[in-house]
Amino acid sequence: MSLSFEHVGFQYRGTSIGVHDINLSLDSGELVALIGPSGSGKTTLLRLTAGLITGHSGRIVLGGRDLSNMPVHERHIGMMFQHYALFPHLTVLENVAYGLKMAGVKPDERRKKSQEMLELVGLGQLAARRPAQLSGGQQQRVALARALAYSPQALLLDEPLSALDASIRGQLRDQIRQLQQQFGATTVLVTHDQEEALAMADRIALLDQGRVLQYGTPTELYENPKNETVARFVGLSTIVEARVCADNRVDTGYATLACDTAGRAIGSAVKLLVRPEHVEADPAEGSVNRIAGRVTLNRYLGSFNRYDFVPTGGSEPWLGEARVAPAAAIAVAPEHIRLLAD
Amino acid sequence: MMQRFGAWPALAFIGLFFVLPLLALVPEALSENGAAFGRMLADPLFWPALVNSALLGLSAGVLSTLVGVAVAWQLAQASPFWRDKLMAMLGLPLAFSGMVIAYGFILAFGRAGFVTQLLGYLGADTAEIGGWVYTVGGLTFAYAYYLIPRVALTLYPVFANLDLRPIEAARTLGATPRRAFFDVVVPEVAPSVLGSCAVVSALAMGTYGTALALVGTQVNILPLLLYAKIGDGGADFPVTSALSIVLLALCSLVLGLGDYFSQRREHATFH
Repeated sequence: MSLSFEHVGFQYRGTSIGVHDINLSLDSGELVALIGPSGSGKTTLLRLTAGLITGHSGRIVLGGRDLSNMPVHERHIGMMFQHYALFPHLTVLENVAYGLKMAGVKPDERRKKSQEMLELVGLGQLAARRPAQLSGGQQQRVALARALAYSPQALLLDEPLSALDASIRGQLRDQIRQLQQQFGATTVLVTHDQEEALAMADRIALLDQGRVLQYGTPTELYENPKNETVARFVGLSTIVEARVCADNRVDTGYATLACDTAGRAIGSAVKLLVRPEHVEADPAEGSVNRIAGRVTLNRYLGSFNRYDFVPTGGSEPWLGEARVAPAAAIAVAPEHIRLLAD
Repeated sequence: MMQRFGAWPALAFIGLFFVLPLLALVPEALSENGAAFGRMLADPLFWPALVNSALLGLSAGVLSTLVGVAVAWQLAQASPFWRDKLMAMLGLPLAFSGMVIAYGFILAFGRAGFVTQLLGYLGADTAEIGGWVYTVGGLTFAYAYYLIPRVALTLYPVFANLDLRPIEAARTLGATPRRAFFDVVVPEVAPSVLGSCAVVSALAMGTYGTALALVGTQVNILPLLLYAKIGDGGADFPVTSALSIVLLALCSLVLGLGDYFSQRREHATFH
């Protein structure tokens, strides 16, 4: 079931906060993550899709149906909430069966279907429990089973992992992705965790101040960010101010580096984007784009080290990743230095 | 000191002033091999008093709960500023003596009350309205006066802490707003509401101050019957004790029912 947003706009009364002219389309079975800073409008867009807030301009179309003036209960969507929102007085099984019950499915059939869903999320043996008797991770798995049990036309995930411990988060993340693909559910995921978005999504829409800054695959956003805001939000990076000093050559004040300047005029100010995995530690003497300096902060992360490297004569650190942190110098290959648009 | 004696001083206090007087009733009531109960049942005033008390408990309990729930809901929705004002206002009737309330009712709705007179100008029968205050119906309203705040202040935290997010979940799963309310909100608050209703019903059946001040002994209810018996010159102590035990049992039964409901977690089943 495809989902599209056509010129969707919404403003909270008396403010300028909301979303403005959102145009996005999701293919059937695709998982799209909405990311962005707080107040960027990602949750607003999700709740507009669910119908939990109303009164937007433009159209939200799901499988050919315009949802705009449709009440929540007719939209046929499954939703997961940050704080689970299970029904506390119902058993786990009854929670999962609720959507089927509303759809008028016969008791025997919905019991069977719900039990199957619980087995799928690995909670078959907890069917008779109450939500309060379950851990946070288990409750959210029940919520996942409940959202998918009545085969909704779209799945809406509102920060489903942010209330959970880090250890469970990764596990549930994989489980959600796996079931979402198995059910072919067209899915919108709202998250403030860009790593989660990169790991789970087919495509990512980065929102800022109610507008879509960039919409593309995780790879596109990471490797070809449209501008500095996108670059800063997605993945780790070093952004260095510099000036074009010759064709395909820039000056940072403490070093001149070779890179593709794409024909910009000499003397123009530019910003360079470098991802930490492209920073080479202790290159050979005389290597291209070699920068001398020292590590001011090193973080040991097991399989690698992530370090801040301050160049001699400079003040802003470069972020690098390596098996062994550099002793005296770093280098970045010219093809890994990207000039940002603004 | 507290550590050394633990809860014993408190327990001794309760034993001396709460349990002991109640225990004293039992041998008194049973003193003539239970003949006192026979005499009580034979009293033509007993059965009407029991029925009236039960009716008063039910009507005052239900009325106070209905209005109290509405007030509690308002409290939960109100801004902190108005909530504080409302809470202070609700606290007042709780602190008033039953006498004050009764006198106020007589001044407003009694035979010469200004509301009664006002309605009289509009053509109503003042004798009928004025007389109504001195019935079970009138008592119901007088009791509601201080039972409503009790319900409202007990239930306000229940409504204020109500998690509304499951309503949204129910809506996305296909429930109409009405259905979501009955499936999510009602089962969550029902035990507290029923429990609160039982408490105020038991209170309405057990108290007599307001009733005495308002109606004297014109309305035949258990506490007033008891009052009359105690005040009687040639008091029949065994019957008075038996009557006390019946009243105590009635109130305990209603409180017990309330407890049962508030402990039980209602849940929908696969029907």
